[in-house]
Amino acid sequence: MIELSDVHVTFNKGTPLETKALRGVDLKVPNGQFLTVIGSNGAGKSTSLNVMAGAAKVESGRVVVGEHDMTDWPVHRRARLISRVFQDPKLGTCEDLTILENFALAYGRTRPRGLRFASGRPMRRDVAERLRMLDLGLENRLDDKVGLLSGGQRQAVSLLMATTGETQLLLLDEHTAALDPKTADFVLGLTRRIVSELKLTAVMVTHSMAQALDTGDRTIMFHRGRIVFDAAGPERDALAVEDLLALFRKSQGEKLTDDALLLG
Amino acid sequence: MSLFEILGTLETGFVFGLVALGAYLTFRVLDFPDLTVEGSFPLGAAVAAVLIVAGANPWIATLAAAAAGFAAGLATAWLNVRFGILHILAGILIAISLYSLNLRIMDGPNEPLLRVDTVFTSLQAFGLPGYVVNPVFLGVLVLLVKLGFDAFLSTGTGLSMRATGANPAMAAANGIDVGRMKLLGVGIANALTAFAGALFAQIFGAADAYMGIGVIIVGLASVIVGTSLFPSRTIVAATLACILGAILYRLAVALALNAGFLGLQAADVQIVTAVLVILALVGQRSGGTLFRIMRKENRA
Repeated sequence: MIELSDVHVTFNKGTPLETKALRGVDLKVPNGQFLTVIGSNGAGKSTSLNVMAGAAKVESGRVVVGEHDMTDWPVHRRARLISRVFQDPKLGTCEDLTILENFALAYGRTRPRGLRFASGRPMRRDVAERLRMLDLGLENRLDDKVGLLSGGQRQAVSLLMATTGETQLLLLDEHTAALDPKTADFVLGLTRRIVSELKLTAVMVTHSMAQALDTGDRTIMFHRGRIVFDAAGPERDALAVEDLLALFRKSQGEKLTDDALLLG
Repeated sequence: MSLFEILGTLETGFVFGLVALGAYLTFRVLDFPDLTVEGSFPLGAAVAAVLIVAGANPWIATLAAAAAGFAAGLATAWLNVRFGILHILAGILIAISLYSLNLRIMDGPNEPLLRVDTVFTSLQAFGLPGYVVNPVFLGVLVLLVKLGFDAFLSTGTGLSMRATGANPAMAAANGIDVGRMKLLGVGIANALTAFAGALFAQIFGAADAYMGIGVIIVGLASVIVGTSLFPSRTIVAATLACILGAILYRLAVALALNAGFLGLQAADVQIVTAVLVILALVGQRSGGTLFRIMRKENRA
């Protein structure tokens, strides 16, 4: 469970470039819910994800996960409960390290890292078994550097890494946006499967309205730093992309100009 | 070059191999260009020399020097992590401060080590002349440090340090305290450098406040020369390449100074160093053609 209460975020405060990225966001994602987030560029969807991960500092408001008030926790402290898959496949993995070493880092989120060797034989078996579900043959390439993998393979590895250990909340930041359509489908299918198998709470930011409605069980829309639309259950099931666009125009009373929302 | 000179070059080459390991850790692993070593090398020399002259056990004095170097590295990393001071500037600030501190520690610009026991005195028990046994001892010592260094980088903490340098955002997202890794890594690098400084002072029989000048370039030169000439894809290979780079570099300097027709003298050592580093960097930049040809010839 994650809860944002009255979160405000301002970038470059007190300078001519001052931008109010979030203006009073209240959001509660209960355990086991798969939330999808849409909105145009600069609407606040990525900022709200950064607020959850701890990468963006809040000006006011609270961030609570489970029974922990995390508002002042740095990224690495939150990592025990929150994991993240980035948009850029290069960001989620460490290309100079091998696949196994990358997993060793991910296991370290919930297990203490000390002066013991990072990757022992039990971990090797465990990682190989997890990689087998991808059906990409990566279980035979544990000692290859991640830099040798394709973007889609790296993103799939990131996703597996993010779902090791005791992760309670999975944050997906447009994690299929940098992939070709076929690979994007593969990674999205994998995401659905892992989230449902592990009964994770997940928040997925996406540029595609169709993807937002087809995935998960609740959809919210950001506009100018606020949540302007929130649908779940039968109400959401009845929605089509066109309805979402119409709703968007109605709630804003202005013409939608961002093509990105129409894509997909 | 005589055998005596070659052994002397090996001796200093091994000592600077420790500096090269430190430079590898900061520049290559952590991506934290650290200039503190200009001050921590003479710091190690000063701490060891003063303690030895005061009657301390030379081994303990040498370890104390390494601890002092660790503290110096910690200070630099702290300025960067806690206050966001640019890493290069933080290093320069601490190195400058250490210059004054070293003068205070030695109560003057140098501290001679005459007629006192050093770590090399105890090696005379082997019954061989110092110019033979010292390089052998230093070679074994550097090899042991290298093996420990390799092992450390494959532990959970070492892996976290590598991720910190390679991809800080990913490291933090995986629960690694990036700031703490920088503190530890820069500390270890400067401990190695101060350790090298302490050994250097004991070889040459004095600690000197000026002996740090150019140490950063020597360390960097060793890393660049070593990793461009030798395979360095894995950590184990890369650290070996750095040590070999340090020896080759000392050899190159010795040869340059020895070549009578060049008319160089000892005072020219810094400019020779700089020219060698520039040549190595230019060689790397131009597709490493020079090095590739040399490597091909080596294999043939």
